[in-house]
Amino acid sequence: MASYLARRTGYMLLILLISSVVIFYALRSAPGGPSGGGVLSPLSSQEVRQAYEKRLGLDQPVYTQYFIYLGHLARGDLGTSLVNGSPIVELLATHARNSLVLGLTALLISYVIAIPLGVLAAVKRNTWIDQLAMGGAILGMGIPNFWLALILVYFFSLRLGWLPSAGCCDPPQLIMPALVLAAEGTAVTMRMTRSSMLEHLRDDFVRALRAKGLPEWEVIIRHVLRNALIPVISLTGLRLGWLVGYALIVETIFRWPGVGYLLVDSVLRRDYPVAQFFSLLLIFFVLIANWLADIGYGLANPRIRVA
Amino acid sequence: MSRSEIALEVKDLRTTLFMRDGNVDVVRGISFRVKEGETLALVGESGCGKTLTALSVIRLLPDPPARVTQGQVLLAGEDIRHVPEHEMRSLRGDAISMVFQEPLTSLDPVFTIGDQITEAITAHRKVSRQEARTLAAEILREVQIPSPEQRLKDYPHQLSGGMRQRVMIAMALVLDPKVLIADEPTTALDVTIQAQILDLIRAEQERRRLAVLLITHNLAVVSQVADRVAVMYAGEIVEEAPASELFANPRHPYTQGLLSSIPSAAGDRKHLYTIPGRVPDPRALPPACLFAPRCPYAINRCWNEHPGLVATDGHLLRCWNPQPFTALQAVEPGRVDPSVAASE
Repeated sequence: MASYLARRTGYMLLILLISSVVIFYALRSAPGGPSGGGVLSPLSSQEVRQAYEKRLGLDQPVYTQYFIYLGHLARGDLGTSLVNGSPIVELLATHARNSLVLGLTALLISYVIAIPLGVLAAVKRNTWIDQLAMGGAILGMGIPNFWLALILVYFFSLRLGWLPSAGCCDPPQLIMPALVLAAEGTAVTMRMTRSSMLEHLRDDFVRALRAKGLPEWEVIIRHVLRNALIPVISLTGLRLGWLVGYALIVETIFRWPGVGYLLVDSVLRRDYPVAQFFSLLLIFFVLIANWLADIGYGLANPRIRVA
Repeated sequence: MSRSEIALEVKDLRTTLFMRDGNVDVVRGISFRVKEGETLALVGESGCGKTLTALSVIRLLPDPPARVTQGQVLLAGEDIRHVPEHEMRSLRGDAISMVFQEPLTSLDPVFTIGDQITEAITAHRKVSRQEARTLAAEILREVQIPSPEQRLKDYPHQLSGGMRQRVMIAMALVLDPKVLIADEPTTALDVTIQAQILDLIRAEQERRRLAVLLITHNLAVVSQVADRVAVMYAGEIVEEAPASELFANPRHPYTQGLLSSIPSAAGDRKHLYTIPGRVPDPRALPPACLFAPRCPYAINRCWNEHPGLVATDGHLLRCWNPQPFTALQAVEPGRVDPSVAASE
């Protein structure tokens, strides 16, 4: 287990290093450059522009900039935004918190809906409950989340006026983005729970448990579900990855000031330090999520733990 | 025989599979009794309905498609066929237990042995977790598992096949049931372990005066542990007798065929007897002896009339034309009786 963890951690660092190079070069090869938060305009003279770039070190070769950046990171200096000069540490504090609130709410919603419905659909297989749940799952997987977002805004904000269409950070403003972010994951998790339950309901031990005289709910929830959750847990790692990707879209649509919103905004404004740092942060998050999913898988499945 | 001595009695049990293309009786009017401290072996080839009989008794048939459609199941004289499910649940694992063929897959892989035994206890008795744990360790010691406290913390995959089956037996016996159903308990184990498991079942049976319903296709197992043997064919009992009597004097041609197809150290090594043909399709049973198409002694009556189960001196037999037992000879390849081949 220790060598396995060491190897996984090594891969993680390698991927981070490679992605940092890719991000650094990709950002700088995009057309345009930082506008200095209004210091520069399309009408600024060539001299002013050059002076600005020289001050920021943007006139240096990209690899030199890269090593300077790495040096700063190593000293714990995350830099400041080129747009408004706010330290990235502060941006991190507020935006990461907002994203975490949104992401965790979405995860919570999806598991609270998906697991009970998946179990119910499996136990009541081929009944209307099963068909309704699976029909819902197909919708959840099929509807693109940006479209779902627009539909929800149209009905709940414009038509019914029940929920604010965008903004942060009160609970009513959280509901729609969290639902949209949860939709696809809920559908996939529900289907996964159902098929995994059906698979384990056929296991020999289910009959043996009934032969011991256990109550049916204990057989289903304590034993079958526990076995069925193993693939659902390992799916969580993947789901966190999707969540990060969808957060860019959902946060932008609902103007939810999270990491995804900030990242999209900073890329559009060529705010290199912010875009660099937050894309690396999201990659790091996805890697950590997968890493945790592996550990969680081991915890849920004793056969892996010992091996 | 007093009523109270009979731990399990099955009367005229019929189990039906409800299929889309018609209903099929897979257990067809079976009756038997198992006394306290007695082992009744239910013997037959795959698909003859022996496991479905056992599942009908403990009411764990896969429903749908299978359901008991007729008959009585008496546990210590009380009919349990119609008791509500919650009452049946409280009987399972307590008054009547079952051990299954495959000990690895019959244990939940994600719970420890200790958890799985204690939950069997706490499902039926109001005891603390600690007390249940102590009971679990005791029963493991009783079935001769070394260092039982340690084993309680093990997961099923950490034990050997024989140990797992001991755990299953321990779990089945921990609440001191009256009846134990053992469905092919040694089939998945290798031969030396088989003997140990059979010894264990025998020892526990004597100590506890258990009534054991042993389901097997293995006549060697039967000869080691059974007091009485019921031979099943196509969902019916075709012969039933005390084990010694049955082995010495098998009367049904099917039983004779089964005994002739056991390899023996002394016998002809070249060809082993095989019963020709195969089990009839339960969807299209003729009003005749169901074994007739495969029987070397079939006479006209066998093809036209279904024989009843008739008792002579405690030996039950369902046959129109019983013949004395001489080990049936292996049929040389290419010498298969054309009438048998045609009827398949």
